[in-house]
Amino acid sequence: MLTSAVTDWTPTAAPSAPAEDGDGDLVRSAANGDMAAFEGLYRRHVGRVHGVIARLVGGHAGRAEDLAQEAFVRAWQALPSYRFESAFSTWLHRLAVNTALMELRARRSRPQASDDEDAFETIGSVDSAGHVTALSMDLERAVATLPPRARAVLVLHDVEGWKHEEIAAELGMAVGSSKAQLHRARGLLRSRLGGHHDA
Amino acid sequence: MTHEHDNDSMTASAGDFPDSLRWQLRSLRRDVAPERDLWPAIAERIAATPQMAARPAPAWRRFAPLATAAALALAIGLAWQLRPAPAPGPDFEGRLLTAEADAMTREYQAALFELNHGVGARAPQELHVLDRSAAQIRTALRRDPDARFLLERLQRTYERRLELTQRLAQPTLTS
Repeated sequence: MLTSAVTDWTPTAAPSAPAEDGDGDLVRSAANGDMAAFEGLYRRHVGRVHGVIARLVGGHAGRAEDLAQEAFVRAWQALPSYRFESAFSTWLHRLAVNTALMELRARRSRPQASDDEDAFETIGSVDSAGHVTALSMDLERAVATLPPRARAVLVLHDVEGWKHEEIAAELGMAVGSSKAQLHRARGLLRSRLGGHHDA
Repeated sequence: MTHEHDNDSMTASAGDFPDSLRWQLRSLRRDVAPERDLWPAIAERIAATPQMAARPAPAWRRFAPLATAAALALAIGLAWQLRPAPAPGPDFEGRLLTAEADAMTREYQAALFELNHGVGARAPQELHVLDRSAAQIRTALRRDPDARFLLERLQRTYERRLELTQRLAQPTLTS
């Protein structure tokens, strides 16, 4: 979890970037304005960033790509505030989720917004890994057609592994509401899968 | 993210949500490359986008610590209302909000420290709930330093915490 990642960083402190992701040098260079280093970070992480955004927006390829682009621009702006207290990939993942949720909130406030009607036509584009089974594609399509808010909670909880407290804070809702949305999303998901996943 | 599911939700769902479906959902967490290279557009945008500047000291932090907790609360409220408008730009805004949240927390904690002497062991559950809420909001604010609504929510939470603490402390202080 990204906590305390944007406060109390002192430049003189020994950087303790998690070594396992190997991003430390690129992050430090990019935070000093090195665009080539930032491109390196982009190449490393674009799949993960785009992946979580695509799941959150229901597989709308164009929107997911636009939001992934936006997330990287925001990351560039915010990089000097990254404090090496969590993995860069974790920090970036949080930022990507936040970018997608901001867009979902904005669309929610627009009465003419269409969120899901073209999901079935666009969700197939996420199958770029080449190893997606037909069953998981059915599941992916079903998730994509959930109402945006319920989908966001289900994706964050059941796919990304977030806790309700984190989801509630990110979505600006009560913890109980997050649990209720998850219950609703799971029920809708099972009904849309047509009973193939009965216990 | 690699968080484990919290036990309550797993337990709550165990009866009506099959494990097979739960694991298939988890398997959806994978990298998905975009169909087009996004870098050229990103490079064009960030070339014209300044990174975060040095953190400025928010004006409201210049207020000196006040003598009493009640006066502190009043000063914090005033300083919040009179704070200068932040400079444009989400990067600047994010750092400013984070700095304001940190400073606000320190000031409120100082005020609450004074008052807690008057509350002692009588602190009700509501105080703990408000403390947890403040902690959750601060966590959310660290994740999203641009979310001004979170800072405002944090301020409201601290105000309620301070107000409740003052009410609880009053009988002791006047006795």
